[in-house]
Amino acid sequence: MPSWQDFQPFIVSGLALGGVYALSGVGLVVLYRATGVLNLAFGAIGAMGALIAWSLIQAGVPGWISWLACVAFGGAVTLGYGIIFGPALAKRDPLVKAVATIGLTLILYGLMDLLWTTSGGQARSLTLPTDNSGFMVGQVQVTWTQVIALAAGVVLTVATGAFLRFTKLGTAMRAMANDREITATLGVPVRRVEAAAWLGSGVLAGLAGLLLADLVALDATTLTFLVISSLAAVLIARLRSITVTFVAAIVVGLLHDLLTPITSLTNYRDMTPFVIAAIGLLVLSRHQVMAQSREEA
Amino acid sequence: MKKYIPARSVRRTIMLAAAIALAAAGCSSSSSSSTAGSASTPASTSTASGTPSTAAVSTSQCGTKPGVAATGTPIALGAIATNQPGTSFTDIPNMANAYFACVNANGGINGHPIKLYIETEQTNPAQIAADAKQLVQTDHVVGIIGNTSIIECSVDSSYWQKLGYFVIDSGIAPECYSTSNSAAVNMGPRYSSDGAVQYALAQHASKIVFDQSNVPGTGYIAAGPAALAKASNVPIVQLTENVPISDADSVAIKEVDDAGPNGAVILNFTPPEALIILQAAQKLGLEDRVKLWGCSTPCNTDFLATSLGSKWDSKLFVNAELTPPDATNTAPMNLYKAILKQYGKAVQGGIGSFSQMGFTEAEIAVHALESITSGSYTVADVNAAIKSVSAFNTGMLCQLWTYGSYPMHIPNNADYTVTPDNGKMVTAQGCTLISSVDPQIAQYRAAAGTAPMAP
Amino acid sequence: MRATLERVSPARARRAPSRPQLTRAGVIVVLLLFVLFGLPQLLSLYYIDTMTQVAVYSMVAVALGVLVGRVGLVSLGQVAVLAIGAWVAARLLFATTQPYPLILLEAGLITMVAGLLIGLPALRLRGLYLALITLMLAGAITVVLATVNFPNGGHGFLGYNGSLVHIPPIRRPSIAASDPAYFRYSVVVAILMFALVLAHIKTKPGRAWAAIRQSEPAALAAGINTWFYKLWAFALASFITGVAGGVLAGAVHYLYSIGFPTQDSITLLAVVLMGGVYSLWGAVVAALLYQFLPSLLNNWGVSADWLIILFGVGVLQVLTTAPAGLADQVPKDLARLGRLLVRLVRHPAPSAAGAGAADGGEGP
Repeated sequence: MPSWQDFQPFIVSGLALGGVYALSGVGLVVLYRATGVLNLAFGAIGAMGALIAWSLIQAGVPGWISWLACVAFGGAVTLGYGIIFGPALAKRDPLVKAVATIGLTLILYGLMDLLWTTSGGQARSLTLPTDNSGFMVGQVQVTWTQVIALAAGVVLTVATGAFLRFTKLGTAMRAMANDREITATLGVPVRRVEAAAWLGSGVLAGLAGLLLADLVALDATTLTFLVISSLAAVLIARLRSITVTFVAAIVVGLLHDLLTPITSLTNYRDMTPFVIAAIGLLVLSRHQVMAQSREEA
Repeated sequence: MKKYIPARSVRRTIMLAAAIALAAAGCSSSSSSSTAGSASTPASTSTASGTPSTAAVSTSQCGTKPGVAATGTPIALGAIATNQPGTSFTDIPNMANAYFACVNANGGINGHPIKLYIETEQTNPAQIAADAKQLVQTDHVVGIIGNTSIIECSVDSSYWQKLGYFVIDSGIAPECYSTSNSAAVNMGPRYSSDGAVQYALAQHASKIVFDQSNVPGTGYIAAGPAALAKASNVPIVQLTENVPISDADSVAIKEVDDAGPNGAVILNFTPPEALIILQAAQKLGLEDRVKLWGCSTPCNTDFLATSLGSKWDSKLFVNAELTPPDATNTAPMNLYKAILKQYGKAVQGGIGSFSQMGFTEAEIAVHALESITSGSYTVADVNAAIKSVSAFNTGMLCQLWTYGSYPMHIPNNADYTVTPDNGKMVTAQGCTLISSVDPQIAQYRAAAGTAPMAP
Repeated sequence: MRATLERVSPARARRAPSRPQLTRAGVIVVLLLFVLFGLPQLLSLYYIDTMTQVAVYSMVAVALGVLVGRVGLVSLGQVAVLAIGAWVAARLLFATTQPYPLILLEAGLITMVAGLLIGLPALRLRGLYLALITLMLAGAITVVLATVNFPNGGHGFLGYNGSLVHIPPIRRPSIAASDPAYFRYSVVVAILMFALVLAHIKTKPGRAWAAIRQSEPAALAAGINTWFYKLWAFALASFITGVAGGVLAGAVHYLYSIGFPTQDSITLLAVVLMGGVYSLWGAVVAALLYQFLPSLLNNWGVSADWLIILFGVGVLQVLTTAPAGLADQVPKDLARLGRLLVRLVRHPAPSAAGAGAADGGEGP
């Protein structure tokens, strides 16, 4: 059994990984709270935005314009999807709406591999200026990018929680996710509120994509399907609480990395998000049947 | 319900339009992505040998009759290469095809042009077996040149044996090196890792950490470094990582922890993963916490040298299975660069080990075909000629290359070691034989002898 | 309601099959005979190998179709179940010399037990939660498989020897060693699985599933043991997928964990939706989309990415406009086209407008 000294650096890297999961997880729950759609294309949208930013940087465009382009792309694609397919699927089950986003995921995934072909010896990488500086925690260095990712997760959790609860637009979003018809009859401009929710979520996806491309890898497959691991935190929060999602994501990331020095378990550590999600869901549902109904937000 | 009907047709039109737009985008940007690929290829100027590379030589020396286009019945050859998101080896058969195009423009093989049928696969055994049958039954290929695939050798080796095809490939799977019907121009993950470990042992590393990607054959690959470490009485830790790697930080920390300050971390990954691990180590500030880092051949690209930056100069030592193109000014190397420039539009990676391997395989194939005097190019004739290739100087390898009739083939078993220096890979150690401590190498040398170094 | 269900079934069995039903049955028999005996003569080995994969995945698709279409349970982990079936079959094929059909049966049964173990706790969840937990479990299974690998003739429980320089191939049945013969074998197994599904649909489980899909509270209120029938659907789907895994093992001879990534389950769901979850033909269409089209495109040198994009567009299309999928939509479209052509033949005078309409109708 490794000693406390051995575990120490993994706590730091685990927190960083937790920050990664939290970014996607919180982004997913935020959109779900606002529109009732679990956007499984979150990772693909961010990945494509990051690849666009990479291409622009390769072409000589200044860094910050490229990052803006990434975020703008995220907002545009998500908004476009929401406007075209949102109304058609609004009355359907959340499951159907989530499966529809699988369609968007596949389209973007195929596009990414077509436009940014895999070339044998090359690899793409996106670096942000905050990568080069950091501070030491114990024996390892923490870069500012990792701090930003974690901080972004916290800010997102607090800000969107407050936004949804205290602002008029936020309340309208929550009402719409609950029951679109009734909210419309109350005089809320449903289409506009929905568009705002989609746009906000898209901007988040773009931002997350940029950070994840730096922290994880600039690879379409990795980033697109990273969302599957982030779903663990989302599921534990039962798609309801943003705070629980954030905390669960940190815990998943920590546990994942803390298993690394344990030789017998290290090869299985990639299972951590899935096992935790499965156990969490089964424990949470032991006294009741968990179902998606209109009444659940 | 009625008010949805116009909306439905509008949605259908939008989707159709989107599909068409995608098609248009795809067609127009596929060309731009290939220029993007070539733009990131660094210009080749040498730093080590001192003599600058000459201006492009005439490509016409690739064939026997310069300037005369071949117009006879084509000689059909086949190749199977992996091409899936994240892993693409198509550069290798594409470069072989470029070589063949050059030969076809300059006399062909006794007037016969060579036609290379390239099948791509996505690591699906059923598909790979089907591709082999397509090549033989439908395309009627008489030889297999340029296979580069994660599992093809395992899946098809008994098929090739049954039909009498002697394959020239860039091997990855164990069967590429352990069967009678496959001879590779490269060393593959096991022997290339051997080379990297050997270099680390020569620098007196007190411990070896060997980390590789969890693709088929990890046990076979690990056996080589294990034997080398054991013979030197150096402890070795064997690790595997699931790819694609999503948390490089924990991988880097684990490797460094296990190696210790006097140890060496040897990586066997494809470039995207190796780059991610090394970058993570740098971000964590760990690159100086071990004695040295090593990597098998896939790391040998100027691209990696540029992406990593100067902290890794003389810290990372990469095994190079092929002669470094930058430092060499021989006729074959210049021909390679010239053919790549003139005929290699489909080769996305530019100058590098992938296109070098394709060039070498095609070179050997043409040499074999040109040795046929009977004018008959059946499966039996062509493969007999391939098998009889002996002590051939490819100009791209340390040693002379031989096929021969042996139960196994490891014809390339000597390597260079390179290290990044100012954004380029430069030679750190010249041609060195892979140690016979690796039992497979010993077995091969017992049957085929030790090939002499190329002059 | 249960009494009513039981009363209805014998009455239905007594009714003689009608003329159109007989014609349809006849056409299907002719088609199957053609597939079994005609196709192997016509196709090259490349396409025979492809069609064997189509047969395998049509079984997986019909299993997924039962879950999604009949019962309304979306499983995002069917490829992981297929991997389990293939693993079990490979282990048994290497370790024992049992006849192939017995091994297929065992693979199906063991996979069914695994499916039941998953289904028992998972069925407390509904809708999106159930779909996501299947995704989580599939992810976990994929990681385990990547670490333990598929059997390759080694010893011990896992049967994996990592240091082999020559991996032995997984054997095939002695009567079906060649590729065309194995193709026929896999088609026969697929026909048996489809018959199994048909038998379920036409009898009590099928009616219970239909009631559950309509409205689960209503079915519960009517006295149907929804939990039991949903578990039955899980068991059936797992059994069929397990058998498919066994057939896959013999088809490919070599199994690798990289061949069963989690994202394949997502693509599989997409093609099953596109093919149509409500009909058995939909499963065949799904398998053709999933295996035949990529093989065709690969032969023509077209990138498989276009297919991925097509599947994405297809999912959106199915969910927004054509819930019954291609298997339902194409015959309707063809019928509509047929009616248009008949009208053209009868009234050739307004040919300009008619020709325009015919071209437009042929489009999507």
